[in-house]
Amino acid sequence: MVVARKGRLTGLQRDVLSLYRSCLRAIRKKPPDSRQNFLLFTREQFEQHRHILKSDFTTVEYLLRRGHNQLETYSNAGVRNIGV
Amino acid sequence: MLRSSIFRSAPAALRRAVSLTAVASPKIAAARPLASRLAAPALPARFARFYSADAGLSRDEVQARILEVVKSFDKVTDPSKITSEASFAADLGLDSLDTVEVVMAIEEEFSIEIPDKEADEIKSVGQAIDYILAQSDGMFLFVL
Repeated sequence: MVVARKGRLTGLQRDVLSLYRSCLRAIRKKPPDSRQNFLLFTREQFEQHRHILKSDFTTVEYLLRRGHNQLETYSNAGVRNIGV
Repeated sequence: MLRSSIFRSAPAALRRAVSLTAVASPKIAAARPLASRLAAPALPARFARFYSADAGLSRDEVQARILEVVKSFDKVTDPSKITSEASFAADLGLDSLDTVEVVMAIEEEFSIEIPDKEADEIKSVGQAIDYILAQSDGMFLFVL
Protein backbone atom coordinates (compact mmCIF):
# COMPACT_ATOMS: atom_id res chain seq x y z
CA MET A 1 0.00 0.00 0.00
CA VAL A 2 1.74 3.14 1.12
CA VAL A 3 5.36 2.71 1.85
CA ALA A 4 7.05 5.64 3.43
CA ARG A 5 10.21 7.07 2.02
CA LYS A 6 11.80 9.39 4.49
CA GLY A 7 10.64 11.77 7.13
CA ARG A 8 7.31 11.84 8.82
CA LEU A 9 4.48 9.54 7.99
CA THR A 10 1.07 10.82 7.03
CA GLY A 11 -1.88 9.87 9.20
CA LEU A 12 -3.07 7.40 6.62
CA GLN A 13 0.33 5.73 6.43
CA ARG A 14 0.31 5.39 10.17
CA ASP A 15 -3.10 3.75 9.95
CA VAL A 16 -1.74 1.24 7.45
CA LEU A 17 1.20 0.39 9.69
CA SER A 18 -1.14 0.13 12.63
CA LEU A 19 -3.31 -2.34 10.70
CA TYR A 20 -0.21 -4.33 9.82
CA ARG A 21 0.77 -4.36 13.49
CA SER A 22 -2.71 -5.57 14.49
CA CYS A 23 -2.36 -8.33 11.92
CA LEU A 24 0.98 -9.42 13.36
CA ARG A 25 -0.50 -9.42 16.84
CA ALA A 26 -3.40 -11.55 15.63
CA ILE A 27 -0.93 -13.97 14.02
CA ARG A 28 0.69 -14.60 17.40
CA LYS A 29 -2.57 -16.13 18.55
CA LYS A 30 -2.59 -18.68 15.72
CA PRO A 31 -1.17 -22.20 16.09
CA PRO A 32 2.64 -22.07 15.80
CA ASP A 33 2.79 -24.30 12.71
CA SER A 34 0.57 -22.07 10.64
CA ARG A 35 1.96 -18.68 11.72
CA GLN A 36 4.38 -18.57 8.81
CA ASN A 37 1.50 -19.04 6.38
CA PHE A 38 -0.50 -16.27 7.98
CA LEU A 39 2.52 -14.00 7.89
CA LEU A 40 3.13 -14.66 4.20
CA PHE A 41 -0.54 -14.12 3.45
CA THR A 42 -0.66 -10.84 5.35
CA ARG A 43 2.50 -9.62 3.74
CA GLU A 44 1.20 -10.50 0.30
CA GLN A 45 -2.04 -8.64 0.92
CA PHE A 46 -0.09 -5.49 1.72
CA GLU A 47 2.45 -5.94 -1.08
CA GLN A 48 -0.32 -6.25 -3.67
CA HIS A 49 -1.19 -2.62 -3.14
CA ARG A 50 2.28 -1.23 -2.63
CA HIS A 51 2.07 0.84 -5.83
CA ILE A 52 -0.88 2.88 -4.64
CA LEU A 53 0.12 6.46 -4.00
CA LYS A 54 -0.21 7.86 -0.54
CA SER A 55 -2.20 10.73 -2.01
CA ASP A 56 -4.86 8.36 -3.27
CA PHE A 57 -6.94 8.67 -0.11
CA THR A 58 -10.12 7.01 -1.25
CA THR A 59 -8.39 3.86 -2.43
CA VAL A 60 -6.21 3.61 0.66
CA GLU A 61 -9.20 4.20 2.90
CA TYR A 62 -11.19 1.56 1.07
CA LEU A 63 -8.35 -0.95 1.36
CA LEU A 64 -7.90 -0.14 5.03
CA ARG A 65 -11.55 -0.82 5.65
CA ARG A 66 -11.33 -4.05 3.71
CA GLY A 67 -8.18 -4.99 5.61
CA HIS A 68 -9.87 -4.47 8.96
CA ASN A 69 -12.77 -6.65 7.86
CA GLN A 70 -10.43 -9.37 6.69
CA LEU A 71 -8.49 -9.17 9.92
CA GLU A 72 -11.69 -9.61 11.86
CA THR A 73 -12.63 -12.63 9.78
CA TYR A 74 -9.26 -14.33 10.04
CA SER A 75 -8.83 -13.53 13.73
CA ASN A 76 -11.57 -16.01 14.47
CA ALA A 77 -10.06 -18.88 16.43
CA GLY A 78 -11.79 -21.29 14.05
CA VAL A 79 -9.40 -20.20 11.31
CA ARG A 80 -6.39 -22.36 12.04
CA ASN A 81 -4.43 -22.24 8.84
CA ILE A 82 -4.41 -20.41 5.56
CA GLY A 83 -3.32 -21.30 2.04
CA VAL A 84 -0.75 -19.05 0.46
CA MET B 1 5.72 -25.95 52.75
CA LEU B 2 7.86 -29.01 53.26
CA ARG B 3 10.71 -26.89 54.53
CA SER B 4 8.55 -25.05 57.03
CA SER B 5 7.08 -28.29 58.40
CA ILE B 6 10.58 -29.67 58.88
CA PHE B 7 11.49 -26.54 60.82
CA ARG B 8 8.38 -26.76 62.93
CA SER B 9 8.93 -30.41 63.81
CA ALA B 10 12.68 -30.01 64.45
CA PRO B 11 12.50 -28.76 68.08
CA ALA B 12 10.06 -31.55 69.02
CA ALA B 13 12.28 -34.19 67.45
CA LEU B 14 15.30 -32.77 69.24
CA ARG B 15 13.52 -32.86 72.59
CA ARG B 16 12.42 -36.42 71.98
CA ALA B 17 15.96 -37.48 71.14
CA VAL B 18 17.36 -35.71 74.18
CA SER B 19 14.88 -37.38 76.57
CA LEU B 20 15.66 -40.79 75.11
CA THR B 21 19.40 -40.42 75.66
CA ALA B 22 18.77 -38.97 79.11
CA VAL B 23 16.98 -42.09 80.17
CA ALA B 24 19.74 -44.26 78.77
CA SER B 25 22.64 -42.56 80.53
CA PRO B 26 22.51 -40.41 83.63
CA LYS B 27 25.67 -38.55 82.56
CA ILE B 28 23.89 -36.81 79.73
CA ALA B 29 21.05 -35.81 82.03
CA ALA B 30 23.02 -32.71 82.96
CA ALA B 31 22.96 -31.63 79.38
CA ARG B 32 19.20 -31.77 79.24
CA PRO B 33 18.30 -28.30 80.48
CA LEU B 34 20.76 -26.80 78.02
CA ALA B 35 19.36 -28.78 75.12
CA SER B 36 15.80 -27.84 75.96
CA ARG B 37 16.85 -24.23 76.29
CA LEU B 38 18.34 -24.40 72.83
CA ALA B 39 15.35 -26.14 71.38
CA ALA B 40 12.75 -23.94 73.03
CA PRO B 41 13.06 -20.61 71.22
CA ALA B 42 11.33 -20.86 67.88
CA LEU B 43 13.67 -20.61 64.97
CA PRO B 44 13.37 -17.28 63.33
CA ALA B 45 11.69 -18.59 60.24
CA ARG B 46 12.33 -16.36 57.25
CA PHE B 47 10.76 -17.72 54.18
CA ALA B 48 10.77 -14.56 52.15
CA ARG B 49 12.26 -15.08 48.74
CA PHE B 50 15.00 -12.76 47.77
CA TYR B 51 14.89 -12.16 44.08
CA SER B 52 17.88 -10.55 42.53
CA ALA B 53 18.17 -6.83 43.06
CA ASP B 54 16.61 -4.53 40.52
CA ALA B 55 19.86 -3.75 38.87
CA GLY B 56 18.03 -3.23 35.62
CA LEU B 57 19.42 -3.83 32.21
CA SER B 58 22.72 -2.50 31.19
CA ARG B 59 22.99 -0.71 27.91
CA ASP B 60 25.39 -3.35 26.62
CA GLU B 61 22.99 -6.15 27.39
CA VAL B 62 20.07 -4.40 25.71
CA GLN B 63 22.24 -3.61 22.72
CA ALA B 64 23.43 -7.20 22.39
CA ARG B 65 19.91 -8.57 22.56
CA ILE B 66 18.53 -6.09 20.06
CA LEU B 67 21.37 -6.72 17.63
CA GLU B 68 20.69 -10.42 17.96
CA VAL B 69 17.02 -9.87 17.11
CA VAL B 70 17.90 -7.75 14.08
CA LYS B 71 20.50 -10.29 12.91
CA SER B 72 17.96 -13.08 13.02
CA PHE B 73 15.62 -11.08 10.81
CA ASP B 74 15.94 -12.62 7.38
CA LYS B 75 15.22 -9.54 5.30
CA VAL B 76 18.29 -7.62 6.32
CA THR B 77 20.25 -7.27 3.10
CA ASP B 78 23.72 -6.69 4.49
CA PRO B 79 24.35 -8.22 7.93
CA SER B 80 27.72 -6.47 8.20
CA LYS B 81 25.88 -3.17 8.47
CA ILE B 82 24.09 -4.17 11.65
CA THR B 83 25.49 -1.85 14.27
CA SER B 84 23.95 0.04 17.13
CA GLU B 85 23.74 3.14 14.92
CA ALA B 86 22.16 1.49 11.90
CA SER B 87 18.91 2.89 10.60
CA PHE B 88 16.38 0.24 9.60
CA ALA B 89 15.49 1.90 6.31
CA ALA B 90 18.69 3.57 5.18
CA ASP B 91 21.33 1.07 6.30
CA LEU B 92 19.55 -2.24 6.53
CA GLY B 93 17.34 -1.88 3.49
CA LEU B 94 14.09 -2.53 5.31
CA ASP B 95 10.82 -0.97 4.24
CA SER B 96 8.23 0.34 6.67
CA LEU B 97 6.44 -3.01 6.95
CA ASP B 98 9.73 -4.77 7.74
CA THR B 99 10.43 -2.12 10.34
CA VAL B 100 7.08 -2.88 11.97
CA GLU B 101 8.09 -6.55 12.03
CA VAL B 102 11.47 -5.84 13.60
CA VAL B 103 9.94 -3.61 16.26
CA MET B 104 7.40 -6.34 17.01
CA ALA B 105 10.22 -8.89 17.30
CA ILE B 106 11.97 -6.59 19.77
CA GLU B 107 8.69 -6.30 21.69
CA GLU B 108 8.57 -10.04 21.92
CA GLU B 109 12.20 -10.33 22.99
CA PHE B 110 11.65 -7.95 25.89
CA SER B 111 8.09 -9.06 26.68
CA ILE B 112 6.61 -5.62 26.36
CA GLU B 113 4.03 -4.02 24.16
CA ILE B 114 5.04 -0.81 22.47
CA PRO B 115 2.09 1.48 21.71
CA ASP B 116 1.62 2.37 18.04
CA LYS B 117 2.59 5.97 18.48
CA GLU B 118 5.95 5.17 20.01
CA ALA B 119 6.56 2.21 17.75
CA ASP B 120 6.25 4.52 14.72
CA GLU B 121 9.07 6.63 16.09
CA ILE B 122 11.54 3.77 16.30
CA LYS B 123 13.45 3.91 13.05
CA SER B 124 16.91 2.75 14.02
CA VAL B 125 18.67 0.26 16.25
CA GLY B 126 19.83 3.09 18.51
CA GLN B 127 16.29 4.38 19.00
CA ALA B 128 15.13 0.89 19.90
CA ILE B 129 17.87 0.58 22.52
CA ASP B 130 16.97 3.98 23.98
CA TYR B 131 13.30 3.06 24.07
CA ILE B 132 13.93 -0.18 25.93
CA LEU B 133 16.23 1.52 28.41
CA ALA B 134 13.61 4.20 29.02
CA GLN B 135 11.06 1.58 30.14
CA SER B 136 11.36 1.42 33.87
CA ASP B 137 9.22 -1.68 34.16
CA GLY B 138 11.31 -3.34 31.52
CA MET B 139 13.85 -4.00 34.24
CA PHE B 140 11.50 -6.07 36.30
CA LEU B 141 10.24 -8.11 33.43
CA PHE B 142 13.68 -9.44 33.01
CA VAL B 143 14.94 -10.18 36.44
CA LEU B 144 11.96 -12.19 37.57
